[in-house]
Amino acid sequence: MPLNWWTRQRHYFLYMLREFTALPMALWLIWLLYEISGLRSGAHGYTPPRSGLFVAFSVVVLLFSLYHSYTFLKLAGVIMRIKVLDRQIPSRVIVFTMFGAWAVASAVIAFVLIWFAR
Amino acid sequence: MADKTITVRAARFDPEHDKEPRLQSYEVPFYDESMVVLDALNHIKNHIDGSLSYRWSCRMGICGSCGMMVNGTPKLTCNAFLRDYWPRPVVVQPLNNFPLIRDLVIDMDDFMHKLKSIKPWIIRKQELPLGAGEHRQTNEQIDDFRQFSECINCMLCYAACPIYGLNEEFLGPAATALARRYNLDSRDEGLKDRLPVVAEAEGIWECSFVGECSVVCPKGVDPAKAIQQTKLDTTMRFVLPYGNRE
Amino acid sequence: MNAEHRPRTAIDHLFFWFMFANGGVITALLMPVHVLVQGILGPLGVVPVVDQHYDTYANVIGNPLVKLYLLVLIGFAFFHFAHRLRYLLADFGVPAAKSLPAQVIFYGGAVVVILVTIWILLTTIPISFG
Ligand code: SF4
Ligand code: FES
Repeated sequence: MPLNWWTRQRHYFLYMLREFTALPMALWLIWLLYEISGLRSGAHGYTPPRSGLFVAFSVVVLLFSLYHSYTFLKLAGVIMRIKVLDRQIPSRVIVFTMFGAWAVASAVIAFVLIWFAR
Repeated sequence: MADKTITVRAARFDPEHDKEPRLQSYEVPFYDESMVVLDALNHIKNHIDGSLSYRWSCRMGICGSCGMMVNGTPKLTCNAFLRDYWPRPVVVQPLNNFPLIRDLVIDMDDFMHKLKSIKPWIIRKQELPLGAGEHRQTNEQIDDFRQFSECINCMLCYAACPIYGLNEEFLGPAATALARRYNLDSRDEGLKDRLPVVAEAEGIWECSFVGECSVVCPKGVDPAKAIQQTKLDTTMRFVLPYGNRE
Repeated sequence: MNAEHRPRTAIDHLFFWFMFANGGVITALLMPVHVLVQGILGPLGVVPVVDQHYDTYANVIGNPLVKLYLLVLIGFAFFHFAHRLRYLLADFGVPAAKSLPAQVIFYGGAVVVILVTIWILLTTIPISFG
């Protein structure tokens, strides 16, 4: 198996991209932990994130993160077999529900993050 | 259009003389839009070079013996139309990821062992006596496993799987799909025999859902789905308190 | 396969996959909104966001429910990351990524991150219900 197998076909490449999304997301969460521990230095020492560099980093992470959400929630529809009254729920419905849950969860978190900022 | 031709570049390998497979070009008359790659190979064998070796039998996508790499993609050659490639040449190579025997013939022992290891037949704790009649199934019960029972053991999915290419110990797509086919069958009672094989470290857990097996499968078996569903089911058996463990 | 080889369900892999799958769903549902709001909208000043001021952030982080939420998010997420990156390494042609030491390093790393998270959540801002 040549080690560059994943560069030879679009589908393989997209797969590797999907797996790679873990790295940027991990870096961003480590940053989040760092930001929280920054609260340690008190009201005067705490520096809120404002730099353009950080925004650029977040934009890149957001793209990877969206790709992860899209692929993972779609694949979840493939693997879940739910039977109601002895009938298989079509995977389209499961995928749709997953994306609905994503929208609701995002709205709730966004609300908390913004509402309690006042 | 009587003398339209297509160039077929077929892999040649003679274990006694060659170190590496090489490609040999043949000009094949392309006189009928319904011609497939296998027809071209048969033309070469019958009219140009009788020494070309390859497997085939049914010519109609049933026997699963004519799988080869056509322009880099695993295909049933009896199902790959020349019109989709003409006027560019068609490159025909042996299936990826398997040891090569000669020309386009690969060694399928490894797959045969794996197939046997999952016991692809109906296992009963106790056979019903003949007089008891047939095992009845509802349409819903058949729908549970029908898709996975379409497999013709053509091994295209193994040729498409990079995980199998990297680690030949991996049980692989078709074997897992067939294990699932029998495990989901309401007549079968062999889950406890198959589960340890399928859920071994080199079984389903090796798979990271590349998904290419399901793309190349000529029968719509969707082995990638079978593997992921088996992961979920197996996990549930252990996680849920009333799960039915080995 | 030789005769004395007796196959057994790999409980360790089963557990890793369980954590991976849960982490995958949790990060899929929750990560984008955090990155968008805290990483882009907040810093650009488009909307007010809790972490832009010490008072509001400390107030929210002090809440035990928030602490629990962050622990669940980060805990599952890092098992997910560890699993994916270990398999990614194997895909790059490093068979050692499938070995026991690699498992200890990757999942051990996830456990370390979880312990650090617990420590940060418990020591940074004390639990309060205000
Ligand atoms: S699962 Fe599909 S590709 Fe794989 S062996 Fe069976 S029929 Fe062929
Ligand atoms: S010759 Fe039988 S499947 Fe192609």
